[in-house]
Amino acid sequence: MNIAFDEYGRPFIIMREQDMKERLTGPEARKANILIAVSLMNILKTSLGPKGMDKILVSPDGEITVTNDGATILDNMDITNEIEKLLVELSKGQDDEIGDGTTSVVVFAGALLEQAQKLLDKGIHPIRIADGYEHACKIAVEHLKKISSEITFDRENYETLITAAMTSVSSKVVNEFQRQLSEIAVKAVLTVADLERKDVRIDLIQVQGKTGGSLKDTQLIDGIVIDKEMSHPQMQKEVSDAKIAILSCPFEPPKPKTGYKLNIDSVEKYKKLQELEQKYFHDMVKLVKDSGANLVLCQWGFDDEANHLLYQNELPSVRWVGGVEMELIALATGGRIVPRFSELNEKKLGLAGHVKEIPLGTTNDNIIVLEKCSQKKAVCIFVRGGNKMVVDEAKRSLHDAICVTRNLIRDNKIVYGGGAPEISCSLAVSKAADEISTLEQYAIRSFADALDQIPISLAENSGLDPIETISNLKANQIKTNNPFLGVDCLGKGTENMKEQNVFDTLAGKIQQLLLATQMAKMILKIDDVILHHGQN
Amino acid sequence: MSNFLQPTILLLKDGTDTAQGKQHLIGNINACSFVVDTIRTTLGPRGMDKLINTGRYSTVSNDGATILDLLDIVHPAARTLVDIAKSQDAEVGDGTTTVVILAYELLKQAKKYIEDDVHPKIIIKSYRQAAQLCLKRIDEIAVKIDTTDKDKSLEMLEKCAGTALNSKLIASYKEFFSKIVVKAVTNLDQELLDLDLIGIKKVSGGAMQDSLFIDGVAFKKTFSYAGFEQQPKKFIKPKIALLNVELELKSEKTGAEVRIEDPQEYQSIIDAEWDIIYKKLDTIVKAGANVVLSRLAIGDLATQYFADRDVFCAGRVPEEDLNRLSKATGKQIQSTVSKLTHEMLGECDLMEEKQMGKERYNILSGFPHKSTSTIILRGGAEQFLNEMERSLHDSIMIVKRAIKNNTIVAGGGAIEMELSRYLIEHAKKIFGKEQILIEAFAKALEITPKQLAENAGFDAMAILNKLRKEHADPNPDKMWIGVDIDNEDVCDTFKTFVWEPSLIKRNAINAATEAACLILSVDQTVKNPNSSEEQNKQIQQQKQMLRPTRGARF
Repeated sequence: MNIAFDEYGRPFIIMREQDMKERLTGPEARKANILIAVSLMNILKTSLGPKGMDKILVSPDGEITVTNDGATILDNMDITNEIEKLLVELSKGQDDEIGDGTTSVVVFAGALLEQAQKLLDKGIHPIRIADGYEHACKIAVEHLKKISSEITFDRENYETLITAAMTSVSSKVVNEFQRQLSEIAVKAVLTVADLERKDVRIDLIQVQGKTGGSLKDTQLIDGIVIDKEMSHPQMQKEVSDAKIAILSCPFEPPKPKTGYKLNIDSVEKYKKLQELEQKYFHDMVKLVKDSGANLVLCQWGFDDEANHLLYQNELPSVRWVGGVEMELIALATGGRIVPRFSELNEKKLGLAGHVKEIPLGTTNDNIIVLEKCSQKKAVCIFVRGGNKMVVDEAKRSLHDAICVTRNLIRDNKIVYGGGAPEISCSLAVSKAADEISTLEQYAIRSFADALDQIPISLAENSGLDPIETISNLKANQIKTNNPFLGVDCLGKGTENMKEQNVFDTLAGKIQQLLLATQMAKMILKIDDVILHHGQN
Repeated sequence: MSNFLQPTILLLKDGTDTAQGKQHLIGNINACSFVVDTIRTTLGPRGMDKLINTGRYSTVSNDGATILDLLDIVHPAARTLVDIAKSQDAEVGDGTTTVVILAYELLKQAKKYIEDDVHPKIIIKSYRQAAQLCLKRIDEIAVKIDTTDKDKSLEMLEKCAGTALNSKLIASYKEFFSKIVVKAVTNLDQELLDLDLIGIKKVSGGAMQDSLFIDGVAFKKTFSYAGFEQQPKKFIKPKIALLNVELELKSEKTGAEVRIEDPQEYQSIIDAEWDIIYKKLDTIVKAGANVVLSRLAIGDLATQYFADRDVFCAGRVPEEDLNRLSKATGKQIQSTVSKLTHEMLGECDLMEEKQMGKERYNILSGFPHKSTSTIILRGGAEQFLNEMERSLHDSIMIVKRAIKNNTIVAGGGAIEMELSRYLIEHAKKIFGKEQILIEAFAKALEITPKQLAENAGFDAMAILNKLRKEHADPNPDKMWIGVDIDNEDVCDTFKTFVWEPSLIKRNAINAATEAACLILSVDQTVKNPNSSEEQNKQIQQQKQMLRPTRGARF
């Protein structure tokens, strides 16, 4: 930090640990910040679009993640710089709200800042630039709404939803099976969706992954999967018309919570105690049997004695079922979670049409599948894949697809993808720029240039000549007045995204623009960076 | 010879640092300049933000008090400035940057007179006199808003709230946010204006405009046990039980022990324990509650019990939210349920669980006592949300002040220029050194418009000259001429609705003068050797030595 001197020529100590603080001010600070954002953008840029590439991220423990999901990449990069952190938060914000488009939002924010640097070099006040960006953003959002279209779907006809989900999955490594995965995602969402209230609880979609098999074996299970096996190897592995007792109490004599001491001072007492213990077990099994249950799921464990007893009484049972699964099972089967055996009765049992234990491959790994549940409130997607990385990436892709579907259920407006809306907005914004008399005109024009970055990256990643492609597209959009013309990444021979059936949600696109503009403004507004090099 | 033998007199402990005299005073003023330089650029609608990283956390802010606090200033004179910023924050909530800049400018003006050997006391006296004159003038010219006219008074509040947001990150949506702020504050009990009753929640994701105002209470879905999802999530006209009770199967007394002689009795102990919790749950349900909220945990047993009976429950609800619910429903938070009756339950129009970004939120609205409200902020990043919250806080404070004090002045440097002109006019009529010093005060006041123009990248001198010229015109229409940020010119800021409660300016002038006088009155600093490290070690050593001896007595 700059040092001031007092009357004796000694340096002033004004702040605590002054020598550990570092300060960057004015144009240097802004330049440094923008440089960081731009370099981050350059990392992510290559992941955009169906021909985008993946990144390998190695965690400090040596764990490997392969992904092209923006939020995941940023999350796993060990980031120390403040500006980078802001951008990470930005992509998380997009992930939280929309769940898709996390790469584009960072790329766009980076592009905005890159353009801003040029304006700053011209001597335009950063806040004027930010104001111009905001103005331009409003224009772009209005324009997006104008070029958006509505899609229709209902529980039976959901082809449109699948197409939207496919656009989201297309850029991922799993895109070989994009049709299959998208179908799964859409069906899963439709099962749990409340179409009237337009509310979807994503938590109710369980996504389970297991290595082994191939992605093709990934399936939607109309029910729940538990990564457990029957507690006794000889128990029956398949139950039809299962009546399930969902227990949150252990199969053992209950213990009082208050501290207690049992005084055994004679042989009789000891025998009695043993008898009682036995009786507890018998009673428990009897209560379960009496209620009519033919399958027991228990949140806690039980010892061999209880296990044996259950086996003898032909009660297949599963122990150590997780709390979240218990809840999902209760919801799916319409059962109630029962905290004590005495409360068990027929009404509280969950109903599932078919329950079976399935061995996976040769690994001695079993899962239990509950199908045909009475209430269709929870579903499970069971992901298979050659290795852990693929399974994880498939899960993330499914998450994106699920989010896209949910957003469409919330708001059924879409824009066509492939960079078409960006180009269209860019045209609209630069047209509007000419009508503005103040300094902001320059900023608005830069916003339009920044918008081009996304189609440019798409074209670049697809091996096309970016400048030629974009200028052709722009010319064609104006000539034909068709806002659906985008980058033909897959070489399908048409630039019309409507024909290619590539589309994004309107909400997602708007959100991208708003969040990126917000972030660009925040970073532009910083003119002073004070860093503390303390213990860490 | 005797001179040589005279022992040196040690007045102060070894390592004590002293500094004194005129040079020291000048040194202090120089130290203050450092502080002011840091926050100078944050002033006004074209003010910039600072990114401050303190070890682990980083903050992006434009709020003077926040920045100064994070800088962690130790210099004694410079600390005074930090303190006035904080006091301004506590007193009026906004104008923290202004007050620091003004205080330093007063010192800067005084500096040359001190170098010319004017006694600091005379400067102090004149400054105080000038400050009094300013306050008097503010009272004279402040415009009173007719509060009996509801629409007009609301408009005034919105304008004031908007002015406070001008320099912030959310400035472009100030109309949107100032409406929210005014709604939230006017919703409060107008006598008490207890700001704790406005809850601000932050949800990452979403755009600024997605921020919500809720006429009621909202809180994030609390940690829930299995069974929660089976509870209904929407109630119309629910009965709400507000509790401070742990609803869990647990030992009633820690450390207690039950002695069981006969194994047969074992079951009865268990039953007794279950009975206690079931009785509690039963009382709650019997009283007719549909929504059970507790500050303490609600266990899995209770969750499932409530799920069976279509009752919604949430445990570990944040205390402030529960307090606000209590105020809103007019019912007490019960710390025992044994005597819970229907009358003790609160009521509202609607309770619903909703998705906000990634989170689920429980929203209760439509209370009989309209006294609490919640603002849910949306934004891209955590730092962004934090800065939004700080900005709204400033704005809320301003509205609160404006309700109590319904006179306003025009911002944008207009009021400062008017005061400056008034002081210079006055100074010409008096005799003595005060004349020049009051003029110095008047000059110092010009810093606000000057800095505003400078931050906007204008030619500050040119703007200042224009302002002086306009204000020299005795025509009262020219009284509110201030800096026009949009057109690099001057304009009537009263007409462009840059309004501030006069109280802010009063307080700012008062606090700045006080701080300047305080620093001016110091002529010596005695700094003891750093006590924190050396002495702490010694004290701890002493303590350790003491402990065993105390124990040895037994």
